[in-house]
Amino acid sequence: MHGLLKWSRKWWPGLVPLAVLWLLAAWYSTVPMEQDLAASATAAVKSDVLDKTRIGVAGRDATFSADAFSEEGRRSAVTSVESVAGIRLVKDDTRLVAEAKPYVWSAERDVVRVTLGGNAPLPAIKARLLEAARAGLNGVEVVDRMTFARGAPPRFDAAVLLLIDQIARLKEGKIVLSDKSVSLSGMARELGGREAIFAAMRSLPEGFTIASNDIAAPPYVFQANKDPVGVTLTLTGNVPDNAVHAALAAAAQRKFFGEKVVDNLKASIGAPRGFAEAVTRALGALSRLSTGSLVVSDREVKLSGDALYDGAANQIRANLGNELPQGWTAKAEISVKPAAAPVDATVCQQLFTETMAKGKIQFDTASAAISADSAGLLDRLAEIALRCPTASIEVNGHTDSQGDDAANQLLSEKRAQAVVDFMVKAGLPPDRFKATGYGSTQPVSDNDTDEGKAKNRRIDFLVR
Amino acid sequence: MAYLITFHWGWLAGGLLLGLAMGWIAVVQHGDGLSRANMQRAAALVVILLALAIARLVPGRWGYWLDLGLLMLGAYLVGCVCGSWLRDRFISRQAPIA
Repeated sequence: MHGLLKWSRKWWPGLVPLAVLWLLAAWYSTVPMEQDLAASATAAVKSDVLDKTRIGVAGRDATFSADAFSEEGRRSAVTSVESVAGIRLVKDDTRLVAEAKPYVWSAERDVVRVTLGGNAPLPAIKARLLEAARAGLNGVEVVDRMTFARGAPPRFDAAVLLLIDQIARLKEGKIVLSDKSVSLSGMARELGGREAIFAAMRSLPEGFTIASNDIAAPPYVFQANKDPVGVTLTLTGNVPDNAVHAALAAAAQRKFFGEKVVDNLKASIGAPRGFAEAVTRALGALSRLSTGSLVVSDREVKLSGDALYDGAANQIRANLGNELPQGWTAKAEISVKPAAAPVDATVCQQLFTETMAKGKIQFDTASAAISADSAGLLDRLAEIALRCPTASIEVNGHTDSQGDDAANQLLSEKRAQAVVDFMVKAGLPPDRFKATGYGSTQPVSDNDTDEGKAKNRRIDFLVR
Repeated sequence: MAYLITFHWGWLAGGLLLGLAMGWIAVVQHGDGLSRANMQRAAALVVILLALAIARLVPGRWGYWLDLGLLMLGAYLVGCVCGSWLRDRFISRQAPIA
């Protein structure tokens, strides 16, 4: 022992290289050791439910900051870091996630994206909500602005998942859940979407209520486009049911005698009251145009295009609004097609004959009142008459043989006169026209069949 | 401690070897070495540093470097003791006989 003490007095020179060795060790090992400890600490808290976890290590001392979702979870995480081998001290900067009152969650949809905002109780629930949104919205950008907060009501996630399903049904709008009350606003993506959302809200978990529901239905749109180049009438948009669909398609066939009707209509609920009547009348106005389009949006009718002559344009502008059911509004932007070049009487006769071969002037049964379906045809006939201003035109009425001859004679005269009256109203001089009734004396077909009778009931134009 | 030894075993082994060499030399080195007073001062310094390390009063990297230094000093001293003892036992005592 005495020798050891004696020798130890001579050990000090080794301290100099030891100090050098210590400096080298400090220089080369500090950072790798800190990284090793940080990695171990991060791995230790991996299974803990935390947010904003940050672990910094200086020497062997760790600074641990994180947001925990419960006091137990917070303590457990701190203990996990403290128990990492090599960690000397842990500076505990952890805290509990703030409690939200009221607990608000929201989803807002605009044209290009859906933004999820407000509070979410746990990372797992937040991830599930985002996943559900991305799956349900199929390609639409989902922006996450949710922040964590404690205090979510029971069954929060079930309620929010249901609300996320509804966001997919909106074109734009916002859904807000405040504690247990739901507020909805915006516009449904499709017709029937609003009703579907109303129905889905009945499946909200018990205790959740609807504070306000201001979801609007999209406009109920019907469109018709008359294309003189393709000689087509294209119908697009919505009709309330198959019966109205068939009725409108039939009306289009009657009113547009020369055009091929392309029917792209689809049945959708939510039609405004008086839809079928309004559309039928508006189609009648469209049939009088050379080219034009009709847009019916909810209870608003917009008609634009070119009329065949001034008188027709004025009549359409004046009558469209009056003909519509109550509560409907009309906007007519009608211009007049440039007048066609004048022609002589022979060409005029040819034009009358060609036009009358395509369509037939219809009258109400046993009456001289011209059917509204024939307005388009009569406008074309008036336009032809305007092209031959010097020619005289005989308008001849004919009936079938059914009924009394005298009555038929009178009816044929009145019908011929009605056509002349139309021409005069269109702005043509009355002295150019002569209305003659022939009753059933000049049939062009047999009167034994309905088909033959229909052919015999006619108006002929003779240009001189 | 176990972590530090595991992580720095190479450096500690260096300290130990240095101590062995120094202990080996010290047995036959001429001169008186440190005075008793200086030895006491050195011991007091080590005790103070040990107390600081055990009480964990030096924070962060400085605390780590203190721990590392003391650990290396410990390895050095163990090496010195072993070196001196080995030299004394197996070589110094046999020399007069030879």
